[in-house]
Amino acid sequence: VLESLQLLLGGFATALTLQNLAYCLIGALVGTFVGILPGLGPIGGIALLIPITFGLNATSALIMLAGIYYGAMYGGSTTSILINVPGETASVITCIDGYKMAQQGRAGPALAIAALGSFIGGTIAIFGLVLIAPPLAKAALAFGPPEFASLMVFAFVVLSNVTGGSLIKALMMVLVGLILGTIGLDPVTGNERFTFGSTYLLGAIEFVAVAIGVFGLGEVLVNAAKPPAQLEGRVTVPRFRDLYPSRADLKRSLGAILRGTGIGFFTGLIPGPAPVIATYAAYTVEKRVSRHPEEFGKGAIEGVAGPETANNAATQSAFIPLFVIGIPFGPVPAILLGALLIHGVTPGPLLISERPELFWAVVASMYIGNLILLLLNLPFVPLFANLLRVPKKVLLPLVMLFCFTGMYSVNNSVPDIWMMLGMGVLGYLLRGWAYEGAPLLLGLVLGPKLEVAFRQSVMISHGNFGIFIERPISATLLAATALALLFPLLKLLRRKKPDAAGQPDRRA
Amino acid sequence: MTAAIALFVFGAATVALALQLPLGTLRMPGTGFFPLVLGLLLVALAAAQGVRLFLAKAPAPAAAAPAPPPDGATRRVALFIGVIALATLLLQPAGYVVATLVLMVGLLRALGVAWGACALIAASSAVASHFVFVRWLGIPMPAGPLGF
Repeated sequence: VLESLQLLLGGFATALTLQNLAYCLIGALVGTFVGILPGLGPIGGIALLIPITFGLNATSALIMLAGIYYGAMYGGSTTSILINVPGETASVITCIDGYKMAQQGRAGPALAIAALGSFIGGTIAIFGLVLIAPPLAKAALAFGPPEFASLMVFAFVVLSNVTGGSLIKALMMVLVGLILGTIGLDPVTGNERFTFGSTYLLGAIEFVAVAIGVFGLGEVLVNAAKPPAQLEGRVTVPRFRDLYPSRADLKRSLGAILRGTGIGFFTGLIPGPAPVIATYAAYTVEKRVSRHPEEFGKGAIEGVAGPETANNAATQSAFIPLFVIGIPFGPVPAILLGALLIHGVTPGPLLISERPELFWAVVASMYIGNLILLLLNLPFVPLFANLLRVPKKVLLPLVMLFCFTGMYSVNNSVPDIWMMLGMGVLGYLLRGWAYEGAPLLLGLVLGPKLEVAFRQSVMISHGNFGIFIERPISATLLAATALALLFPLLKLLRRKKPDAAGQPDRRA
Repeated sequence: MTAAIALFVFGAATVALALQLPLGTLRMPGTGFFPLVLGLLLVALAAAQGVRLFLAKAPAPAAAAPAPPPDGATRRVALFIGVIALATLLLQPAGYVVATLVLMVGLLRALGVAWGACALIAASSAVASHFVFVRWLGIPMPAGPLGF
């Protein structure tokens, strides 16, 4: 632990250079914008900024891109509270009590508590990351190809279980992502696969095109489908002096913030869109432990404090699986993995020992970034809220312009824009059919890794598929996967026989 | 149901194409092995989903039917796709600024912004994005015959 703290101090030295501070600030700012602007979430935002990081070293690039992720968690609450429109999915819950508070003229305290909770949750979660990431990385050194393969299958199934909506639909999206990931060169033998003679496809499907297409353009198209009159809303921007929460507000929120931190931190360690799940879990818990549950839905400040803290804590702890085993557990870490690979950094158990300067500088930058965001969001929130006055019929074309320019600049390639357009249409259709894009993205990014791990495992065991259940860690993961697959089935049976005993435990 | 059928076809196509690739052996899986397994799984899941939808549809057809899209939705989405495609086609031959102008004018008009405001916003965003992305960030966007 002492050694970790020493390395962390070194990380601060790197993160506090003028250049890295500037990238941290840019990341936090862009994240806040992305969080505030409905129609562009952290996935699209990060994908759009990847090309700008090409000229940077990997540390600065990751500092900036990570800033967008947690910055979006701060910004997302603003629109939820002020206009009842979540800026991104992790702020949907905040609308319930946040917007009610705004209608009662208490938008200021709601915004302030959201920022304060995010800051406390975020910084405590980073501390947790510092404590447990290095020992976990040492433990993960025991992972061989079979363990990695099983872990990825586990991640896919759990993600599909918790994404919301139907398990079978999410699993199909994972498979589509995995299949798209096989296009290009066979990662083991180098044979061509599904390229149809095209040199463009030989270079594999550009995951940035899928990310911007499904999550940026797809969202723009969904908004374009709404009648133009529905795109406008009135915004009341609070004044700065109204921002201070009262002593009673703070007292009521403290418990919610601490519980939200814990819930968020542990959700980040489980496969799935962690920040989103964390908000639902935190809201449910707050409502249950509250002495006045009847106030929930009518402007209870705990209903803002808990979820907004939890989503930021989850954002920070979601970096643990990415850094420690190199397997992203959610769509945003998957995008960050893609960005790291572009910069020649392969996250995994060896990352912390081999690239300590990168790891510790990024961790240190998260502390700094959270502080910057607290400052940005407390005094300046009225300023950002003015963004909401830009009518959506102007905003949507502008977002499209960014997608168009950003997509081209990734590889200076026009075919990439066509791919983005195709994926945008796909994203629009998927939304209409109630299919999720996140499992597809995770499948696409992890596909080549899963295939390599799988084929190496089979080669190690000379064709004995038992290798996956003979090794204890791998067997445990597969058993957990089987449970996760059976769980919805059990739920179905229980619904049919309401008096059946033995309720399955969701937390398992 | 449309989605289940589309996914089934996609899975089946994957299987068919994977079978043309060297499959290798179980000891040494080849290029086509992994996609073949994925394709088979997708076909199975899509079939299961299709059957489930078919069975569920009989008792409650009203609940399964999605809400009809609002007026003009399809037209606006089609316009968006068309305008983006046009801008993409123009990017290489006509240059970034022209493509941006087409993109912005097309999308703003598709959303019903008046011509005057539309021209102003499109022109200023085209000029601004040229200066920010090309001049300032140094992104080599294609230049048209006019040099920008």
